[in-house]
Amino acid sequence: MRRIADRIATFLLWTAAIGVLVLLAFFIGYIVYLGWHAISWHFLTSPPSEVDAGGGIGPEIYNSFYILILTLIFTAPIAIAGGIYLQEYARPGWFTNTVQFCAESLATIPSIVMGLFGLIVFVNLLGWRFSAIGGALTLTLLNLPALMRVTQEALASVPDSYREASMAIGATKWQTIRKVVLPSAIAQLTTGIVLIAGRIFGETAALVYTAGTSVSAGRSAYDLNPFHNAETLSVHLWYTHSESLVPDASAIGNGSALVLLAMVLLFNIAARVIGRTLTKRLTAT
Amino acid sequence: MLLGQQPKADLDINAKLMVTDLDVYYGAFQAIKRASLDVAENCVTALIGPSGCGKSTFIRALNRMHDLQADVRVEGEVVLDGEDIYAPGVDPVAIRHRIGMVFQRPNPFPKSIFENVVYGPRTHGQGNRKKLQEIAERSLRQAALWDEVKDRLDKSALELSGGQQQRLCIARCLAVDPEVLLMDEPASALDPIATSKIEDLIGELKKDYTVVIVTHSMQQAARISDFTAFFLMGELIEKGATRAIFTQPKDKRTEDYITGRYG
Repeated sequence: MRRIADRIATFLLWTAAIGVLVLLAFFIGYIVYLGWHAISWHFLTSPPSEVDAGGGIGPEIYNSFYILILTLIFTAPIAIAGGIYLQEYARPGWFTNTVQFCAESLATIPSIVMGLFGLIVFVNLLGWRFSAIGGALTLTLLNLPALMRVTQEALASVPDSYREASMAIGATKWQTIRKVVLPSAIAQLTTGIVLIAGRIFGETAALVYTAGTSVSAGRSAYDLNPFHNAETLSVHLWYTHSESLVPDASAIGNGSALVLLAMVLLFNIAARVIGRTLTKRLTAT
Repeated sequence: MLLGQQPKADLDINAKLMVTDLDVYYGAFQAIKRASLDVAENCVTALIGPSGCGKSTFIRALNRMHDLQADVRVEGEVVLDGEDIYAPGVDPVAIRHRIGMVFQRPNPFPKSIFENVVYGPRTHGQGNRKKLQEIAERSLRQAALWDEVKDRLDKSALELSGGQQQRLCIARCLAVDPEVLLMDEPASALDPIATSKIEDLIGELKKDYTVVIVTHSMQQAARISDFTAFFLMGELIEKGATRAIFTQPKDKRTEDYITGRYG
């Protein structure tokens, strides 16, 4: 009887795992199948078209990276500093609990709500209109808690014995964090940051009302001015399918989806490679 | 019972550390009750007692390691060369520079052997590569590890065996030139050969340092220490020359422990 139960459990779990795998493979295969024909050098580098067929996604790819980098510049210092504080300095008490509670609440806010908040604050109140910086700041709010949690988890994975060893020979707390704890946590931290970067790259709802759905309001489609509107790849994907007038909308959508998928996959692979390399470098010198 | 090293116990010796009426609380629980102990300079003092008797709690109070944990309170005096290390205004970091600690489990950093040894001097501002190399060699020699690692100083410390790692941790501690070396069961995670190397090493180290060692092995205490303090349920029951403690214990409870009645 116990053996039968064991067999059934094994079978069910195995089926579930295979099911997930098959589903994923199907999605990826389908997206590749549909998107493959749309991809061309012209498609990847040209600006989008408003009315005619044949528009590309060059500026969208550029904007996706631009907003990603801006977001990380805003998010990383705050989130990492906050994570270090909560994990290494904060003693249990009402203040720590409050900060933790706020971070967790922030993490549960749907991205569309965050997007509308960004619309009110950055677009209207501050009068920036649709802008890369408004989008990046909205994404900062959205990803701050996750990155803070990633930092905390990376630090928590460092054994206390390292901290004790360092303090026991007269290093200060900050020296201990800087020279022992952070180097030991950096691999996991980097992996976490890259994974979150993948999420930022694919974020859509929060950007529709903050960074806008246009790339070229009377200017070059590629520029560094953070106050210009900046439609990203994922927003473009949504936009062409739901609002756009171009006749080849579905081909553009399929192509964009494939590029987006490839990028996110790349982030995930990069996360693993970077994590492994850093670990090797930092432990064996 | 082996009673090997007892040369200094009968002489008149300087007290390096004087602990007076030490209380340690974990929250509401009192782990150490009114313990007083003088630690003789350039001697090995062993703290013995059954598990949970407070000997580790006691030794961690000697270089303010309890400061790192919330909810631990220490009262009483620990005087190092005439200065109370718990007096207001005393920097615990400076104290730990003078009183180093080696832990039960070897805890090398995930760095190279060289970087492990020079970690302390580096944090204290020594940046001269040549100086650091000298310090590394001296410390590793003192820890009887130099010959085994001199050709692979840039290899990861995690590749060493447990016993080598522990000696590396001792070297890392010695590299900052402490005056007192606290060792919390430094050999309990090691095999007998590695243990005997650590014990020989402690015998050497007391020439230059004052050593306090926690051990659950009475044989080890008898082999390596000049003085012994016996703890039971947070109380320091008896202290004195190791030979006296092991041959003529004054307290019934010490005798019971020595003869194996507490395990």
